[in-house]
Amino acid sequence: MSKIVEISPTTRHEGHSKLVLKVDDAGIIERGDWLSITPVRGVEKLAINKTMDQVPKIASRVCGICPIAHTLAGIESMEGSIRCEIPQDAKLLRIVLQCANRLHSHALHNILILPDFYIPGTDKKINPFTPEEPVRSVAKRIQRLREIGQTIGEIAGGEAIHPSNPRVGGMYKACTPRAVTKMYDLAKEGLVLAHEQMDFMIAVLRNMQKRDWTEVGGKQIPLPKTLGYHNQGYMAADPMYGSSNLDEHPGWDPRRWTDTRPWDWYMGEGEVSLADPGYPIGGTSPVGTKVNPQMEACTGVPLYDGAPVEVGPRARLVKFKNYDEKGTWGQHIARQLEYTDCLYTIINALDEYNPTGKVLADPIPQGDGSMGWAANEAPRGCDVHLAKVKDGRVLYYEMLVPTTWNFPTCSRALTGAPWQVAEMVVRGYDPCVSCATHMIVIDEDKRIVAQKLIQ
Amino acid sequence: MGTELGKYKLCVSARSADKEILKKAQDGGIVTTLFKYALEEGIIDGAIVSGPSDEPWRPRPFVATTVEELMTSRGTRYNLSPNVSFIKEATRSYGLDKIGIVGTPCQMQAVRKGQLYPVGLRDVPDKIALAIGIFCMENFPYQSIKQLVEDHAAMKLEAVKKMEIGKGKFWVYGERGQVVQLPLKVTHKYEQPGCHVCLDYVANLADVSTGSVGSPDGWSTVFVRTKNGDDIWSKAIAAGCFETKPIEQVKPGLELVSKLANEKITKNQKTVEERAKFGVNKALRNPYISPK
Repeated sequence: MSKIVEISPTTRHEGHSKLVLKVDDAGIIERGDWLSITPVRGVEKLAINKTMDQVPKIASRVCGICPIAHTLAGIESMEGSIRCEIPQDAKLLRIVLQCANRLHSHALHNILILPDFYIPGTDKKINPFTPEEPVRSVAKRIQRLREIGQTIGEIAGGEAIHPSNPRVGGMYKACTPRAVTKMYDLAKEGLVLAHEQMDFMIAVLRNMQKRDWTEVGGKQIPLPKTLGYHNQGYMAADPMYGSSNLDEHPGWDPRRWTDTRPWDWYMGEGEVSLADPGYPIGGTSPVGTKVNPQMEACTGVPLYDGAPVEVGPRARLVKFKNYDEKGTWGQHIARQLEYTDCLYTIINALDEYNPTGKVLADPIPQGDGSMGWAANEAPRGCDVHLAKVKDGRVLYYEMLVPTTWNFPTCSRALTGAPWQVAEMVVRGYDPCVSCATHMIVIDEDKRIVAQKLIQ
Repeated sequence: MGTELGKYKLCVSARSADKEILKKAQDGGIVTTLFKYALEEGIIDGAIVSGPSDEPWRPRPFVATTVEELMTSRGTRYNLSPNVSFIKEATRSYGLDKIGIVGTPCQMQAVRKGQLYPVGLRDVPDKIALAIGIFCMENFPYQSIKQLVEDHAAMKLEAVKKMEIGKGKFWVYGERGQVVQLPLKVTHKYEQPGCHVCLDYVANLADVSTGSVGSPDGWSTVFVRTKNGDDIWSKAIAAGCFETKPIEQVKPGLELVSKLANEKITKNQKTVEERAKFGVNKALRNPYISPK
């Protein structure tokens, strides 16, 4: 007889989400639903009739962790719509900005996941905030990597959070040679730290992979070797930066995208029948709590080729670098492998960058209402923005953000794991929930079928 | 009043030892020389100063990172130069870690306020390495200067060699040698109205503040106010950047600075009080009193 457990809210990730899990008598998940309960932001509606310069800036405000990805995807979807090619030096600055954001975000994610893991060779879990070694020096390294990422982002993008420098048509300001040198030096410093951090994280993860159990809420929970495995596909537009409809070989295809409504996807009404007050933090929801994922989920369910897909570091590595490791550990390790890529890409872009070059297209067309899209590879996956711009005003705007893609995929990946480790699977996706709550559902004919919800 | 000159550690009359700077300096060349020294010694990476722009005598704030760039900013242009607007950009696309900034008393207030409450100035407060304030009675919009020079002084703006306020008059010196003096009574109505609530004459919040008042022609009065300012000033003196005289031994001396500071404060205090009663139950906010 299956029972229902609810973990609400899930912790150590951005935003507000919960897990509703149908488990068997042994506590193994038969069906898991991971859903966003962050209220819908309505950015797509706010965007209508605003100027194409305003909208990406507004869109970036959905989240403070990857505002750079949203700014760049927003701007490039506008450029895609108005058919504006930007100068090469502007593109290089955007690449630097993108990598800086990914560096800082991955480092931040390390802090969030480390408490799940053990110091290799011991049964002691890692507390990233302890003053004791060896953890303290790791924490310092993580913070320095974040600082490096944010400082580079600040110089190239004007701000580390909600960057002000990118604009439709290129960038507002070029960086001076001094600024380029500063970024270069920081990247060089970061590269050493990134190598160390990557090695450390992989050692911790491999150690975890070898373990048979982990301790959750005072109990030893067996760790399945197939933790987080799923049979869904992968989607990535580019190994590092992104793609748009202006590319010769676009990395994403809007025709392959459809949406389904949460009530066609998630579980229906139910009642919590299994609770564990000892589960961190504060226990699971008490027995008798009503759950209704169909109605509570605040996201649509986007499908690519009619099925949910995984996006993120592993998807990028699978698509472009023949990576084949599955499951939660494979996901974490893929993320660590991107550390050094970020810094090498920054260094290469700065080598190529010309401080006296042009960074703004001239002229900037105002648009004829045709569709443009940009798929930016945000730290946690492919962030697609779609826009139609006519005479400088936005007629249509849509954001398909990484975690929206990952919600249904991760829900599938929960099956077969003990429910106590479900949050570990969720954290493998580095979820960023607040920007994932969008509610425009589009069917096969590209008709909006669930518009009512957002009006 | 006793507080009109603000807090200071040291006050001297000084002049740059660099003849090249003095050639085009307004008075003693203090700001340019101090920035030059700080730049050469690595105390600052660059300075936000106002230099010439496309229009004659309209200042354009820019970030000077070399002595050559700094030299173009010598002299005073008597109208608004929004130097503070560059304070964030200097740390961003210019990549500076140690910034020097020069400005009027109100701009020094803005810099300090930005350091205290860095709203929209993330990672800027710790990068202000040297803030130099200049004495200021009031300032003019560009249109005012244009009208004063072209209409009242009957001179083309392009043909002006130097402008100066001193001895109770606004002086305009032409390239061809002509000198026009306008009584300050004429210039008053062209002042920026916002200046009339300012109660700071000598840039109380700067690290070092300077101006011509109180010192003989070609010299400047210098107040060294903060520990940081004192540190840089004493090093610059030791390096022989300035000639100095004790302020007590020069004419007209501190008395005149005090007199003018008090005049400004008394006059503007009246505007502040008038504004408190302005409109019907809608007093304009007094920037010097926090709202209750």
